[in-house]
Amino acid sequence: MSVFVDVTPDDATTTASAPGVRSERRRGRRVLIRVALPLLSVVVFGVVWQIAAASGIWNQTFVPYPATVWHAFVDVSTTHDGVRGYAGYLLWEHLYMTLRRVIAGVVIGVVLGVALGLVMGSVGWLRSVLEPWLTFLRALPPLAYFFLLVIWLGIDEAPKITLLALAALPPAAVATTAAVVAAPVGLQEAARALGASRAQVIRDVVVPSALPETFTGIRLAVGMAYSSVVAAELFNGLPGIGGLVKDASNYNNTPVVLVGIFAIGISGLVIDGLLRAVERRAVPWRGRV
Amino acid sequence: MKIRALLAAAAAAMLTLAGCSVDHSAQQTDKPTIRIGYQSFPSGDLIVKNNKWLEQALPDYTIKWTKFDSGADVNTAFIAKELDFGALGSSPVARGLSAPLNIPYKVAFVLDVAGDNEALVARNGSGVDTIAQLRGKRIGTPYASTAHYSLLAALNQNGLSPSDVQLIDLQPQAILAAWDRGDIDAAYTWLPTLDQLRTTGKDLITSRQLATDGKPTLDLGAVADDFAAQHPDVVDTWRQQEARALTLIHDDPAAAAKAIAAEIGLSPEEVSGQLKQGVYLTPEQVASPEWLGADGKPGNIAVNLQSASEFLAEQKQIPSAAPLQTFQNAIYTKGLPGVLSQ
Repeated sequence: MSVFVDVTPDDATTTASAPGVRSERRRGRRVLIRVALPLLSVVVFGVVWQIAAASGIWNQTFVPYPATVWHAFVDVSTTHDGVRGYAGYLLWEHLYMTLRRVIAGVVIGVVLGVALGLVMGSVGWLRSVLEPWLTFLRALPPLAYFFLLVIWLGIDEAPKITLLALAALPPAAVATTAAVVAAPVGLQEAARALGASRAQVIRDVVVPSALPETFTGIRLAVGMAYSSVVAAELFNGLPGIGGLVKDASNYNNTPVVLVGIFAIGISGLVIDGLLRAVERRAVPWRGRV
Repeated sequence: MKIRALLAAAAAAMLTLAGCSVDHSAQQTDKPTIRIGYQSFPSGDLIVKNNKWLEQALPDYTIKWTKFDSGADVNTAFIAKELDFGALGSSPVARGLSAPLNIPYKVAFVLDVAGDNEALVARNGSGVDTIAQLRGKRIGTPYASTAHYSLLAALNQNGLSPSDVQLIDLQPQAILAAWDRGDIDAAYTWLPTLDQLRTTGKDLITSRQLATDGKPTLDLGAVADDFAAQHPDVVDTWRQQEARALTLIHDDPAAAAKAIAAEIGLSPEEVSGQLKQGVYLTPEQVASPEWLGADGKPGNIAVNLQSASEFLAEQKQIPSAAPLQTFQNAIYTKGLPGVLSQ
């Protein structure tokens, strides 16, 4: 999951002064570009896929027909021939379990990460102590240490949530640290000169100015956690969308693997969209300080 | 200018890195390559590999050995046409030969038959003494493996369906961890993990017992159809070397254990213990009607694979079972039994 930084379209204000018809047409074009282009790309993708599958160059196991994947999607989402979804759970139940784990992991990881970032950003010597550890953790692929989590924490929810939290913590912490360090010194000194205590400076100056970047860190953290889902559900991952992908690939069941991948990707898009909406509401002053 | 310099540097780095490969298996590229997929369960395959018997018998070919962790991965590699020979369990083979995979390969050798080296073990303190008592308990097994198949068969024998128990997909190392923590009550797995479980648990059933009950699980050597059609002589040589390895296991178990130990990083003592618990056929048995059969007369193994396929369909692991004919066609019997003793 990549992070797009919202650039507030400046032309929205400049075009307001232009004649009404032209701004109307421009808006129409903008809507067309924002809605029609993504739709068009999806359609083109579907057509290319269909052609690739129909060409017969690749085995059906590698490139199944879009229709096959659609059938797999329907099968996984319904009860058919006495079989309930995939491995006894419907698709939304797999997704729900995964989202629950991701949310728990991300909340823990982000809360700890932001707290750590605030401390590291404000206390110089702590930053020196903790930074190497954070970088160390950030460099580790989750698969490398997941087995240790299983030994320490068992096979139920604990190791999965811990893994997701560990994946989410570093981006949040690093972004917060950077943002706190970069808080405008002029404003801080001005606040101090007006008699604010250190705690007040952090609360009223540092945190607000750090929030926009922290939010970017949070979105990165959610992305990191989401991309670790298959690793987290490697053991005893059913029900769970990562477990579903892993289990289906064990049986070379490509259509179900693709259903799982689409479910992860699309829900990831939705989550990122929600976070961006929250970000716009919560830090309207982004880019204006 | 700067970008071009950067690109040149990147290209140079790529070339240097590519040249620094540590892959010793395929250094000469002028000879045709035979690609073999093996797994780390103790079998004749590892003896052939460790003693370089194939390399000696086929000096005109480059032999490339690739290690796989599961039959599912070997199936994938066969579908991708990346393998000529592969070692995998009977249930992945049954799945591979059935729709929708329909992998074009043939069973050319029986590497081993699961005996006491795969078993269902209950943990002391779980209060389970019989399979019937497993109802509602948590059982770990690596999904899509022969052990998974055997577990379902053992439950089925005792009138339990998979939904009567809590099945958990765990690889052997994770089974051990979950077992020690008391997270699971029983596990169906294989050596060497199995021996560690047995110190704090007891066998409920072993694959040897299931084999006598008509649900044997085997490790098979498969050969890709295209390759077998183009190089029947290589397949003959390969089968002879595999037969030679089986003979070594029977005649000189110590030497066999030493070769296998060198491949899988265990001590020869541990490996000879494992060899005793598995069932290794003699080359004569492999070519007998009970297993592969003779040229033009596929043996009983086709029936085994077909019943495995039916069982997998019953368990909803594949859409439907393939007919017996499919499996009979997929047994490579060319030149059997004479070819093994040449």
